[in-house]
Order: sequence, then structure tokens, then C-alpha cells
Amino acid sequence: MTHGVRTVAVRADGLSRWYGTTRALEEADLALERGVTGLLGPNGAGKTTLLSILATVNEPDRGRVSVFGLDPRDVAERVEIRRRLGYLPQELGYHRHFTVAGFLDYVAILKEITDRRRRAEEVARVLAALGLERRARTRIRALSGGLRQRLGIAQALLGQPDLLILDEPTAGLDPEQRLRFRELLSDLPGDPVIVLSTHQADDIAAICPHVVVLLQGTVHFTGTPAELAATAAGRVWAAGERDARAHLSWRGGDNRWRHIGDHPPPGAELVAPTVEDGYLLLSHAAGA
Amino acid sequence: MTGGGPALHGADAAAPVGDHAQAARTTRSRAPRLRTVLSLGRVEASRLARSPLVLAGLLAGGVMVWLTIRSPEPLWWNDGWRIGFGQLVLGMAVLAAAQLAAGRARRNAMADLYASFPATAGTRTLAHMAGLAGVVPASLLLMGAAAAAVQLRAAIGAPGVAVLAGGLLLVIAAGAAGIAIGTRFPHPLAGVLGALALLLSSGQSHLPWAAGLWLYPWASFSDQLGSLPGPLAGYPPAGAHALELAGLAVLAGIVALAVTASRARARGGLAVAGIAAVAVICLAGALQLRPIPTPDLNHLVSEVADPASVQHCTTASRVRYCLYPGFGSLLPSLEAPVSAVLAHVPAQPAQRLTVRQVVSISFPDAVLTHGHPNREVSRWDARVQRAPGNRGAAPASAIYLPVGSWPADGGQLADARFDLALSAADWAVRIPLQASGSPTSQVFLQCVPLGQAREAVAIWLAILATHPPAGELQAGLGAAGGFAEVRHTLVPTWNYPGTGYVTPPGGGPQDTAAGYLLASAMTSLPEQEISHVLAGAWGRWLNWHTTDAQLAAALGIRMPSASSTVTLPSGKRISPAPGPGNAPQNPLCTS
Repeated sequence: MTHGVRTVAVRADGLSRWYGTTRALEEADLALERGVTGLLGPNGAGKTTLLSILATVNEPDRGRVSVFGLDPRDVAERVEIRRRLGYLPQELGYHRHFTVAGFLDYVAILKEITDRRRRAEEVARVLAALGLERRARTRIRALSGGLRQRLGIAQALLGQPDLLILDEPTAGLDPEQRLRFRELLSDLPGDPVIVLSTHQADDIAAICPHVVVLLQGTVHFTGTPAELAATAAGRVWAAGERDARAHLSWRGGDNRWRHIGDHPPPGAELVAPTVEDGYLLLSHAAGA
Repeated sequence: MTGGGPALHGADAAAPVGDHAQAARTTRSRAPRLRTVLSLGRVEASRLARSPLVLAGLLAGGVMVWLTIRSPEPLWWNDGWRIGFGQLVLGMAVLAAAQLAAGRARRNAMADLYASFPATAGTRTLAHMAGLAGVVPASLLLMGAAAAAVQLRAAIGAPGVAVLAGGLLLVIAAGAAGIAIGTRFPHPLAGVLGALALLLSSGQSHLPWAAGLWLYPWASFSDQLGSLPGPLAGYPPAGAHALELAGLAVLAGIVALAVTASRARARGGLAVAGIAAVAVICLAGALQLRPIPTPDLNHLVSEVADPASVQHCTTASRVRYCLYPGFGSLLPSLEAPVSAVLAHVPAQPAQRLTVRQVVSISFPDAVLTHGHPNREVSRWDARVQRAPGNRGAAPASAIYLPVGSWPADGGQLADARFDLALSAADWAVRIPLQASGSPTSQVFLQCVPLGQAREAVAIWLAILATHPPAGELQAGLGAAGGFAEVRHTLVPTWNYPGTGYVTPPGGGPQDTAAGYLLASAMTSLPEQEISHVLAGAWGRWLNWHTTDAQLAAALGIRMPSASSTVTLPSGKRISPAPGPGNAPQNPLCTS
């Protein structure tokens, strides 16, 4: 499903990737426009593999990727892609002996920002953006998990990337920080292409105009959050009792049972579906 | 573009996200690789220079240099190479630190992130190599401090630039090796093992081929550098060794880059560079294995066998001091104790005393003489065997000072001065300096002035001239003293702990505990009183028949008795029994 008339900036066609006998991706197709795209999927769905391929870190066994019209298989074009890329891997270690500012400065050089003054400005900018100025001289080993995650996001923002790939960026952030992260993405200048993976459906609903659902290595949905929610329209009910026929059911804060399924429980009332409902229904349908 | 965005937390931390957005976007560097390498290299250099490992290595290297240069006579052709041991220690630390730096991304689970940067792994490796510039100041500091220490000790000769430069190159090569290891093996243990391998390579006990001594990164202590009367060309082959180290550094860098090179063209270039580096190393190795030219060895053997042909002799207080060229600065230090002894002697001997430098090197030496025909080596050996200072034929009025044995300062210098004073005093009281024996059998026995008055006089003169600490003198008794067998009788002996700096022919006489104890008792009397007694019958006191008991009686002191037991270091006291009778007997000093 493709939406809007905007140009596709990043395209993946028929991506397959195997790790030994384990399939991570199979014939995955993707088209990313400028703006934020949320990548939803359960653990092991292939999200990290897909993002690492888009980040030119990994190579697919089959299929092709095009980033801003550049082919990462070509060495020179791959470097050009990387010059326009900001990437936050899912599991990022840190140089624990570096200071926060020292680490960002180091990454800035790796991003070919070699002019000292500009580098200092850029480091100061991302420190401020992530609220890390006061930690600039703190050694990374002294940071909490949440602060480290913010540092990871900060390094990805260095150099004003055109393509920002964030693998579970909100993991480890508290609710307030998650909200501020949403604001941060919303305010990024230059209309970059942003793709982020998350388990938080409400993050997707809040900040992503586009959403992709990846299940068992295959793209099962591409559209807007509203469209994802709409896939569950007419299949979400609220009832006073649990219905065993429901695909999924749980007791909500109002002490009523929320059911997702094809059959309405007795005495149930139809409720408006959410992105989470759509995602859960898709997952169930795919057997994920 | 927005005017600004919120921070992730805290209003006070909030700051504009996009203030510089456009500027940053338009000015984002498209720096060539070289600028990235230099920028990254600067950071790596700074981190390496401040690395606790490197700082510890610098400190340990300094201690190592001090330990290796503080004892022997300061000779630049020896100490320059010893400074390299300090660089070896620093190099070990640099190797470990560079390995940690090069393996940092993989070890810290950041390989994926790094792979997403435009700076390639090759660029990062080059930056690590450039970052080795950060250890150059540490190496230069070590070199400078060590050189200053050597120079402050009034070292003889001049520093060898190639040797000192070799030390610097050793540190850089070790760092390059660390980077090569780190790019493949990020675990810290790999660096530790690499450093240990470097350390092991400096020991020669495992060497199957001594001639290849200099091929190892920095050979230690299996050479005779400290015994040479001057620098010997090609020993060590410093220039060629520096070339080898430079080649090794380049080769290690190529190995490190080869790990990251993916393109066939890059691999091809690296292969060519690697072959060139190996060729340079082989060339340097071949140069180091060249035999020392025959004329140079002939000259060395002549200097050893016939020192008089090259030495400069100076006469002071009727004593001749014959020193190799460049060693003139030793003269005051040698002259002082000898003159002080002779100043207290009532009558000067008719014969002149000569204090002569000698060289105690051994032939054949696989490092020195490899590549030369056995016949030639045997000829050199025979000449060296006949050299003064080797036991055997030697004038009775000579004291030999082996090159490299005279300390520069401190307690060792005081010991050496006493040692020289005692030899001079023995000569002055006509105790034979030379041992008896056969040069062909190489068995020499020191004579023992058992019960002779002149022995106590000699020791008293030496004490008077140099004033050694009483505790050290006393330490020459007991376990340190031991026994000598004279005429089938075990005689307690006295051996001053700080002896061995000068070599009277055959090792000089063997002093007895009784002689020392009487001399010690004499020091409690006024000097004028003793001088008066000695001067009154000097000829009598020099006679070997005149006993120490007679001297004690003349001085009006009670003859001390020497213990016939020995206290071992364990505290156990033993009374040695007379030998079985077939052991060589020390002769009595009878002339």
C-alpha cells in the first residue's frame, strides 16, 4: 500500500537474508518517503536485519536497495549513502572510558566532520538537543541506561543526516523522555527520511505518518497508522465477560474485557480500533 | 526549518535543534580521507599519549634504563643500547595500548555503528597508525631523560644516533604490531600476549643461533658491549637494525590494513607494499648478519692484547696510569685513592706502579666473530689469552682496571676506590700481587700473607686512604670471608664485599681475617703514632717473616683473634674441617 504523491527516497525490493539456516528476511519490499516511518514487528521479525541493510551495515543475500538513488553495492555510492546517514543500532556498546562530548566528537570525525569549529558546534547542538550538555564531560561508564540511549540518539543526529535509522530508540527511555523524543523527531529540520523500529504502538500512532509491519521477515502492512488501525475495524469489542473465541482479550483499566476477534461476545459493544489492535490482529493472522 | 526544538528532558536543558541546521547541512564536510585520517589520528594520538598503560610503560621503562645503566661504567656505546631496553618496556605498553585502541569498536559492540560511517575501517586503521605519533613524545622523553642521566654520569664516548633512533622505532613498531593484533583480535588478552612475546624476544637464552642476536627486536645482555674500549663498527649494527624496525613497523601497518581492505586493487597495493617491506627487512637482516670486518676485529684484538700500543699514560706521584683513548676523565678518580695510600707510606718502593686499563672480552664469541674462519678466530683467541689482565705472565707492579668496571658514582665508587687503594697498598708493602700457577692450565692460586705484619699495614693504609664504612669492612668476615687452606691449615679469610673493580694479576693476595682485625684495631690508634712505629723500621715491617703479633706488640695493642667458625647466611655456624689433603693449597706470600 503506497500513500501520497511524494517521492520514494529509500526503496528495498525483494530483500532476503539468511543467517545459516535461520531466515531473517524473505522477499521484503519497502518504500520510504521523507518523514517518519515506524517499523513494527515482534521479536525476531527481521526488523534489525532490515534496518542494518538499509544502513549499509549488512548486505542482503537477495534483493536490491536504493537510497536516494544510490546503490550501496557500489563502494563509492555506499560511502555517499553513509555520508547522509544517521544510525542507532539496537544493541549499541559504548566506549566507556570516553566522555560524552569526546565520544560525540569522535563520531563526528568518523562522519567526516573534520573542521574543528564546525565539529564543536555540531557536538554542542546534539548535546543540547538531547539535554546532555551537563553531562558533556561525564565518562560514559557513569551514565545510566537512559542517558546512554540519549547519547546513542545524539550520535545519530550528528551531521544532520538525510536518512535517520533508529532501531528501538525509545528503549530505556522513561515516559517523559519518550514524549520529548517525539518532539525532537517532529522538529528535525530538513525533512529527513526517518525510520524507527519500536514495540511501542503508541509511539507509532503519535509520531509516524507511515507504518510498516514486518512479520516473519516479510512486510505485511504498509500504510498510515490510521489505516493500520482500520484493519481491525469491526473486530474489536468491549464486554463485561471474557470470550474464549476471541483471538486476544485482556481486561482494561475500566475493568471491562477488550476482545479482538471475528465473533462478538455476548452483550459486547463495538469499539474504535487502535494501531495496537490492528498490529495485534495482523500478527495473529500471520501466526507470529 | 523550526526555530528550535525541545530537549529530551528538562526545560533547562532544552535548546534549539535547528538553529544551525541549514548551516550544518550546507557545510557538512565532504572531507577527503586524508583529513579524516589526520583528525582521527590526532584524537587517537592524544588518547594514546594519555593512556595509563603508556604512562606506566614510560615509568617502567625509565626504571629499567636506570637499573641497567646505574651499575656499570658509563660508556655511551653500551648505555645507548641499554636505553633501548627502556624503550622495549615502553614498547610493550604501547603495543598493549594500541591493541586496545584498534580493537575498541569490536570489543565494545560498536562494529555495526562504525560500519555505518563514511570513514572506512581502513581509514580508521590508518588513523590508529597516525595516532602512534602520540607515543613519540613519551619515547623521546624516555630517551632524553636516560641520555641526560648517562651524560650526567660523565659517560665516555658519544651517543649513537642510530642506536637511539632504533629505540624510538622499536616503540613505533611495537605500536604498529599492537594495531595489527587489535584489528584481528580485539580481546585485551591478545595485546598482553603480544607484549609478552615482545619481551620474550629480547631474551637470548632460547636463541638457537647467536649470530642472529641483533635480528630480534632488541637483544639484551648477551653481548660484550660494556667491555669494549670503544665503539666497534657493526657491533651492534644499529643503522641496519633501525632499518629493520622501520620495515617491521610498515609491515605491521600493512597487515593491519589488509584485514580491512576489501577491494582487489587495495589488496594488490598492500601486497606490493608488503613485499617491499619484507624486502627491506630482509636487506636489513642481511646487513646485520654481515661479519664485522677483519681489520676492525684485528684492531680490537690489538687493543686488547697490546693495550700499551694505543693507551695514553700519565704519571702522577710516581704512578703511571695508562688509559684507553677517551677514558682520561677517569684519571682523578683513580689517582685519588692511590696517591692517598702512597702519601702514608714511609718509603716509596723502588719499582714504579702502573695502573692500566685492560679489556676482558672472551673469544670466540659467536656474535663478534661469526663469519670469520676458525683459524682466524683461534689466532685472535690466542692473542687475547695473552693479554694483560688475563691470569698468567704479568709484571708484579701492575694493577689492572677492566674496561667497564669502574663505577661512576655512589657507594659502588667508594667500594671501587677502596679496592684500588688496597691493591696499591699491597703493592706498597710488597705483598705479591700476582697469583702463582700456569697460564696453560688456567689454574691460579692467590698467595696468603698468613700472620704477616705487612698485611695489616696494607689494609690499614687502604682504610686510611678511603675511609670505607666500618660495617662494610666488618661484613668481609664470617660467611663472606670463608677459609683458605694454607699448609693444610684452614685459615679464616677476609673478603671486602665491594671488591672486584680492579684486577691485580691473578686476583691479588687473599687477605686473612686476622690481618683485617689487626688493621681495624690499628684504626683506633692515632695515625701519627702508627706512622712513627712504621717509619722507624719500615724495612722490617715489609719483611714477610715479621709477624702481625710483633706489629701488635710494637703498637702496644692486643693481637685480636680471628674466629675459626663461619656463620652461614642461614645463621648456622660451622667450623670447617681441614681438607682431605689433595685439594690445591694456597701458597704463602713469601717475597
